[in-house]
Amino acid sequence: MSKEIVTFTFLEFGDLVQIKKQLISVISLCKERGLVHSVKWASELAFALDPLPKDELPPSHLVSEEDVQDLDAFALAKSYFDLKEYDRAAYFLRGCHSKKAYFLYMYSRYLSGEKKKDDETVDSLGPLEKGQVRNEALRELRVELSKKHRAGELDGFTLYLYGVVLRKLDLLKEAVEVFVEATHTLPLHWGSWLELCNLVTNIEMLKSLSLPSCWIKDFFMAHIYTELQMIPGALQKYQSLIEAGFSKSTYIISQIAVAYHNIRDIDQALALFNELREQDPYRIENMDTFSNLLYVKSMKPELSYLAHNLVEIDKYRVETCCVIGNYYSLRSQHEKAALYFQRALKLNPRCLGAWTLMGHEYMEMKNTSAAIQAYRHAIEVNKRDYRAWYGLGQTYEILKMPFYCLYYYRKAHQLRPNDSRMLVALGECYEKLSQQVEAKKCYWRAFSVGDVEKMALLKLAKLQEQLTETDEAAQSYIIYIQEIFSCGEQLEHVEVSTALRYLGQYYFKNKLYDEASLCAQRCCDYNDAREEGKALLRQISQVRDQTETPSGELFVSLSDNNTPIKRVSPLNLSSFTP
Amino acid sequence: MASVHESLYFNPMMTNGVVHANVFGIKDWVTPYKISVLSLLYEMTTSKIALQEKRRLNKLILPLQQGPDLQLGQFLKTVEDCCPQTAFAVKIRLNEMADGELKDMEFFFTTLPNPTFDSEAYKTSVVGLFIRHMLLAYNKLSFSQVYKLYKSLQHYYHMGVPTFVADDSDMDLTSTEVTIGDKMERELDSPLTFCVRNEDPVSRGPLSQKQAEYFLAKQAYLLKNDDNKALRPAKLQEELNNMLKFNPDFAEAHYLNYLNSMRVQDIYISTHSLLHYFDRLILSGSEGKSNGDEGYGRSLRYAALNLASLHCRFGHYQLADLALQEAIRIAQESNDHVCLQHCLSWLYTLEQMKGSDSSVLTEDSVKMAAHFCLPYLASLGIQSLVQQGAVQGKSAHELMDALKDTDILHWKHSLSELIEISLAQTISIWRMYGKSTMAQQQAQLLLNMSSLEPVNFGVTQNNTEAFAVALCHLAELHAEQGLYGGTTEIFKHLKEQFPPHTQHAKLWMLCDLKIQFEKHMNDGKYHLAQPLVPAIRAQNKTEGLYRKAQVLKSLSRTTEAYRILQKLQVHCEKTRCTETIIRVLLSTAELHWESSDFSTGLPLLLQALTLSRKHHLQALASRTLLHLAFTQLMLGVPEQALSVLHEALEPILAHGGIMDKGRALMLAARCQMALVATRPNGREQAAVAIHTLDEAASYFSTLNCKERLRDVRYLQARLHSSLGQTAQRNRCAMLFHLLDRELQTPRAPTDMRL
Repeated sequence: MSKEIVTFTFLEFGDLVQIKKQLISVISLCKERGLVHSVKWASELAFALDPLPKDELPPSHLVSEEDVQDLDAFALAKSYFDLKEYDRAAYFLRGCHSKKAYFLYMYSRYLSGEKKKDDETVDSLGPLEKGQVRNEALRELRVELSKKHRAGELDGFTLYLYGVVLRKLDLLKEAVEVFVEATHTLPLHWGSWLELCNLVTNIEMLKSLSLPSCWIKDFFMAHIYTELQMIPGALQKYQSLIEAGFSKSTYIISQIAVAYHNIRDIDQALALFNELREQDPYRIENMDTFSNLLYVKSMKPELSYLAHNLVEIDKYRVETCCVIGNYYSLRSQHEKAALYFQRALKLNPRCLGAWTLMGHEYMEMKNTSAAIQAYRHAIEVNKRDYRAWYGLGQTYEILKMPFYCLYYYRKAHQLRPNDSRMLVALGECYEKLSQQVEAKKCYWRAFSVGDVEKMALLKLAKLQEQLTETDEAAQSYIIYIQEIFSCGEQLEHVEVSTALRYLGQYYFKNKLYDEASLCAQRCCDYNDAREEGKALLRQISQVRDQTETPSGELFVSLSDNNTPIKRVSPLNLSSFTP
Repeated sequence: MASVHESLYFNPMMTNGVVHANVFGIKDWVTPYKISVLSLLYEMTTSKIALQEKRRLNKLILPLQQGPDLQLGQFLKTVEDCCPQTAFAVKIRLNEMADGELKDMEFFFTTLPNPTFDSEAYKTSVVGLFIRHMLLAYNKLSFSQVYKLYKSLQHYYHMGVPTFVADDSDMDLTSTEVTIGDKMERELDSPLTFCVRNEDPVSRGPLSQKQAEYFLAKQAYLLKNDDNKALRPAKLQEELNNMLKFNPDFAEAHYLNYLNSMRVQDIYISTHSLLHYFDRLILSGSEGKSNGDEGYGRSLRYAALNLASLHCRFGHYQLADLALQEAIRIAQESNDHVCLQHCLSWLYTLEQMKGSDSSVLTEDSVKMAAHFCLPYLASLGIQSLVQQGAVQGKSAHELMDALKDTDILHWKHSLSELIEISLAQTISIWRMYGKSTMAQQQAQLLLNMSSLEPVNFGVTQNNTEAFAVALCHLAELHAEQGLYGGTTEIFKHLKEQFPPHTQHAKLWMLCDLKIQFEKHMNDGKYHLAQPLVPAIRAQNKTEGLYRKAQVLKSLSRTTEAYRILQKLQVHCEKTRCTETIIRVLLSTAELHWESSDFSTGLPLLLQALTLSRKHHLQALASRTLLHLAFTQLMLGVPEQALSVLHEALEPILAHGGIMDKGRALMLAARCQMALVATRPNGREQAAVAIHTLDEAASYFSTLNCKERLRDVRYLQARLHSSLGQTAQRNRCAMLFHLLDRELQTPRAPTDMRL
């Protein structure tokens, strides 16, 4: 049956009907094997495509001799498997020969080991033993699977399982190879691609892999671009997928929304999430990301609505707990927020976001040590979590250790080279350490990569002002004002007034009175700068009066040359002294 | 990475974001090893044992109870050494449990002697407490935990007692259907696993808390005292990674990781580990302690300070400075004077490393440290002051007094590390003053001194910088006396003790290069000396330049040499490196001689003489006198030359190197020769000169310095000829001829060099 799919795989996008057929067949294959997540993914995609007419439905799979032999045992075992009685399922499958049964047999053994491991952790024999709990089945599975692998007897599903076993045993290199092989044998199984996504750590590694050219590869590429923070590439891929006919897919919408979230394009992301909620109102996945966005925008009613809604759907989900945590955090009830993040972690200790968010909550509660621990945990789960590194930096900044936090900010910057927040933070630290040159570089870089908070230029200008680099400072203020006014909405006018005030004085000093008076007039628009603006205007008019006299003086002096009788200008008193 | 994720299960006892290592508030957990100890105790209370053996067993109990978990084999062996009969009984008992059923273990725990007032295991005695602890811990275990304990006991027993079951049980599962290919693989694998196993019980998988602590303590101790005996860096890293994989909360492992990466000069990992360690430490510091807040802030300060020292180690002085400022600021804010003192001592070290004068800072530091009763920092400061004073030419007795005073302090507080440094400093000072005997004697004193610190793990502390310095001086002293065999021995030892990747290896590397260079120069093999120059320069720029000038001078590339020497002089005057200035002056004077311009060199030599006298540098002063005498000889005042020479001759013969001795004697002989014509007792003078030359020849021949030997023979031949001693003259002439043929280089005019 896998052969049948292999023949399909080298199709291009054009034929949506073919894709739909493939999806339908792979759904049934995965369903038989209990691979629920892949089934879900494929079904979501299939749902987004137009339904097939009756006669075009793919025929149910060919049944081999072995399958028939194992039919009863398989049915029995599958029922036990569905009831999570893995050992029992494995026991009844032990004598089966068909590939399907073999996969379920191995998969049950694997899952049984995992389940036992999770149970074990609760009652371990000592503090040090907690890390020693292992899935005991892994080693045996590996030995058996590697033997079959060498003999070339593994099909796509078993290859996937072999890869998972290898990954759990920390044999990452081998695991990548096996997953690549699995994608070649059975490209339609999304699980293998997803595992591969988790194992590929950088773009070079991605380029070095030889992957089958199949339509599903585009989904994979888009996904991995998001993972590797290469958002523009990902968005482009998703856009082309939508254009190819997957416009109704909730999966793609959610992925795009997450991508926008990652590049902090909040409005776009919010719009997409709202659309998603309309199409799929009972969805819980990705809702934590949605709540993060609502949190950033301080949209209390929306967040509260979301939280209540999710609690009604399922309150024991990690996402729900995160949403509630965000909700409490927005209401400044940080203890409760921390409690909910803890609950999320209890549900899934590998949940990265919750560790980081908990760190933020502890920061709010001024419990720096707990915050550090939470962030460290987050880093342990994923070394590439820039928010945790950034959080650690912030913690040490609060503890007034600017040099110490440099390291953390630098780490965060390394992971997100184009994020202005890290650069601004770095700049601030350098400024505190009176390393002005570095600080200026950071601020300028922050502006160049697209400053989110529009603070970098202002800080740069202030720094230059301190260093009495007046021209540069004026330049920075000018760009700052342009930036602020070009983005339309008024952010904080206080800072604009500072810029205007400085510029007014600057022009005044450089005798550019027209510009100076313009700035002074604009100053008067702001409460805190009004008085100064007026004072400057007065000064300007005064000086203008004076300059008119000197210009008269010039005139006089010129005329003096012509008429030597009146030699001394009226202001020049010195020559009257005897 | 993946399994780290897996291991991060949520701890139910996490409160306020801080995970308590002690989940149920029990300090002791029942482990298979503890069961073995319990069964030993049981046997001891129940069965009759001879008094002698009982006594030995009693002595064993405490270490067994409080030490780290042992392998069963080790455990049984230690017991067997005391009482074979009991060991056998213990083994039988364990066997009963391991090969029996779960109920056998449960039965064992019920039969354990209940410590009461009358039994041997008195309720509050060490043994009684232990038994009660264990019973309590056992009774608290849930059913599945008990079952797990039983399983691990079985495993433990079969690991310790080799039976028919193959040693590596994990391989069993595969061996049921082994194909040929697998068999080969197994054969390839098994020796590997075996050596790992035999090498160290530690390297297998997870460790218990105590074992891990013991491992870390041992490795840290070894790293500090003799890192050759510690595990190899790569191996240690592997172990630590393993440990951290199983317990990411084990902060000390991060610190050891930091130390380990420092060994291999890996700045990235060491910074990372250091920060990680302090992140963890901050947590444990704030956990429950009475002075919670205090401990927490404290580790922050020391974190910054440690970061400063890390950057200092890697030579990033600016970064170190910033980190130090931060540490100082936080310490000031929290009024931590002790930490401030540490910062201050780092501050002056940093200033010194940057090459600026820091004596004021150092003095302050010493005063404050004395005020806060920190003897270590105080005497460290004094030592630093002494070092600066020595370079600046403070009088010798002041320095020696200061060192003596600190020594009293060291012995009082048994600061063995500082005693070593102080001795090493004395050696260096004596060497600088040119008193080789004293230096040698101090070096021997240091090397033969037994350390004050208790000897742990069979390692005495002898890889500190002080030892390296002493050994280097010793090597140089040997080389000066032409004892190259001894020098080689010393370097062999240094290479073993301080392998090239270690921190202090640079000391001996430079020293080795210098000695080789000198040797080649003495032998006249300039082409061999030349390639050493870049190597020396890599270690020490000034020294490298100086050596380059020397080579160029010997190759008669005078202009280039002169330019370098000028540059060097300017540089050294800026850095106030007196010794080099004097040597540069001498070399410049020698350059002038080459162009027969003797009078120009005189002011330089006089300047050198004043400098060396001012700084009490006797060896250099004598050498300068030698140069002066030579100049005078060349200027045609041999009598003056001889009288100047006599001033220098005595210290040179007493303390100088063999080369200087030879040169001085040869010069003396030449002065005498010059006087032969003028003096009435010319013949006697000539005979004396011949004798002096003989002595000089013996020195040169120990050094195997053929060129100078040739000069000596030539002079001797002439003297003999003037005395009419034809036979001797012919012999000398023949020796000269032989040497001349061997050397093949045309003989430089003798008059032109010292």
